Amino acid sequence: MHHLTDEKWLKAPNGDPRGYIDANRLSELWFHTGTTCNLRCPFCLEGSKPGDNRLNMITFEDALPFIHEALELGVEQFSFTGGEPFVVPGLIKILDSSLDHRPCLVLTNGTEPLMNRLSDLLPLLKKPQRLSFRISLDSPDAATHDAGRGSGNFKKSLRSLQLLTEHGFGVSVARQSRKGEDKASVDQAYQQHFAAIGLPRGTRIVAFPEFHTPGSIVAVPVITEDCMTRYHTSKTRADFMCASSKMVVKKEGRMRVYACTLVDDDPDYDLGGSLKDALLCRIMMKHHRCYSCFAYGASCSER
Amino acid sequence: MLDQANGKLRTTVLSIQWHSPDIFELCIANPGIAFVPGDCVALYADKQLSRPYSMASAPHEPLLRFLIRRLPGGKLSNFLASLNPGDSISVSPPFGWFRPGQHTTPEETVFLATGTGIAPYLSYLADLRTPAKIRCFYGVQRQPDAFAAPFLRERCEATVALSRERRTGCHYGRVTDLLGKLVLSPQTHIYLCGLDRMIDDATDWLERHGVDRLQIHQEVFFNASSDR
Repeated sequence: MHHLTDEKWLKAPNGDPRGYIDANRLSELWFHTGTTCNLRCPFCLEGSKPGDNRLNMITFEDALPFIHEALELGVEQFSFTGGEPFVVPGLIKILDSSLDHRPCLVLTNGTEPLMNRLSDLLPLLKKPQRLSFRISLDSPDAATHDAGRGSGNFKKSLRSLQLLTEHGFGVSVARQSRKGEDKASVDQAYQQHFAAIGLPRGTRIVAFPEFHTPGSIVAVPVITEDCMTRYHTSKTRADFMCASSKMVVKKEGRMRVYACTLVDDDPDYDLGGSLKDALLCRIMMKHHRCYSCFAYGASCSER
Repeated sequence: MLDQANGKLRTTVLSIQWHSPDIFELCIANPGIAFVPGDCVALYADKQLSRPYSMASAPHEPLLRFLIRRLPGGKLSNFLASLNPGDSISVSPPFGWFRPGQHTTPEETVFLATGTGIAPYLSYLADLRTPAKIRCFYGVQRQPDAFAAPFLRERCEATVALSRERRTGCHYGRVTDLLGKLVLSPQTHIYLCGLDRMIDDATDWLERHGVDRLQIHQEVFFNASSDR
């Protein structure tokens, strides 16, 4: 992690000190289950697709030491993202172990991989902690959603939301936000779908801005130390994902800790092989997705 | 052996066997992949271009077999069709979410497939050590496409549906027409693999006839927006 003392890491191109976040705790630990997915969405921020191995699939044996370490550090929730987590053979076992200790959230596209394993998930309803799912519904318009994710997938994802709810799991929805949208009317369009399938009124919708595909070079304003105090307060700085969460990924066969869920395409955010060490690293606002957190408060967390 | 830098395995083409004008079987040396029936690997034409294919071979076989339909203008399928024995090819580690026969009950298990969607069932049936009560409905366009029928009939109760021609011993029509022959019980598990239209129609029919959605297992082809 020699880069942590590099000028490029510490200073913006104009020479000003970069804005940064110091982690204050570990409230949520994310596991990236790997970039293999059953879908091949052109906009995927992870570049996931069938057979993709940029981030390797994790196993139960990979995850277990981090579950234990996170518990020692006082973690309050485990969350899982991909790729599509339900293509990972060991996921059910990982959830089974995690749910002995803390609530779990799984981000999924809600299509065949989830549906085919739903019967394996039902026993997890008896675990001490609650299991919830966040399903991607990019738009309340089925054709728009299916244009990116494949024909018929809007209907499947809605059906998954319905079945998960009927069986007693928690559900929420991730959607894309568009510049200039009327947030209230978009959310209302979702709520109409939810009402039609019996989801609770006010089912949570988490909106995300465009994150761009991995490795994209995106022109965004530089975030300096001054920006972090001029436009943010100690309270809002504490809401940045990297202040209280970390993500574990498997890359080139090794388990690594990254600063958050959005920066795994930049090796500068590889904070080492242990959560304790990672929490000591100052996170510089260098990645173009840091600007999404800075400007829009983008956070993958539901906590 | 896995190349850690790019996450792919390199192996060798052993043979290509054409079963019909459109469908061929690609056989490659197993580069050390351990899988279960229903798993896929991505086959690569180059660094970026890939598509997932289910193994048609059983896990205990020393090679990997895939059923591939050559699509007009399909970059990957035409690349695969152009390979020769001895050529190198990259594959991903195995992955999958479709497990034919995973939920075995005393009741009949039903397999439905269109075209090359028969591959995961061939893998499962070739791996089956003890007899099971399995009924297989296999939908293709014409009789030469139903090359797997003799093997299926050896291993389970198989019916072939031909959508484009009438032949003795085969149903003429869509494979979903055969669903009406099923005697459904609350324990019946049904596995669907193939084209999205077949899967949607079969799922709708089964749910209308009281089958619990949790007992319908799906593997859809041509679902993701892809490179064909």
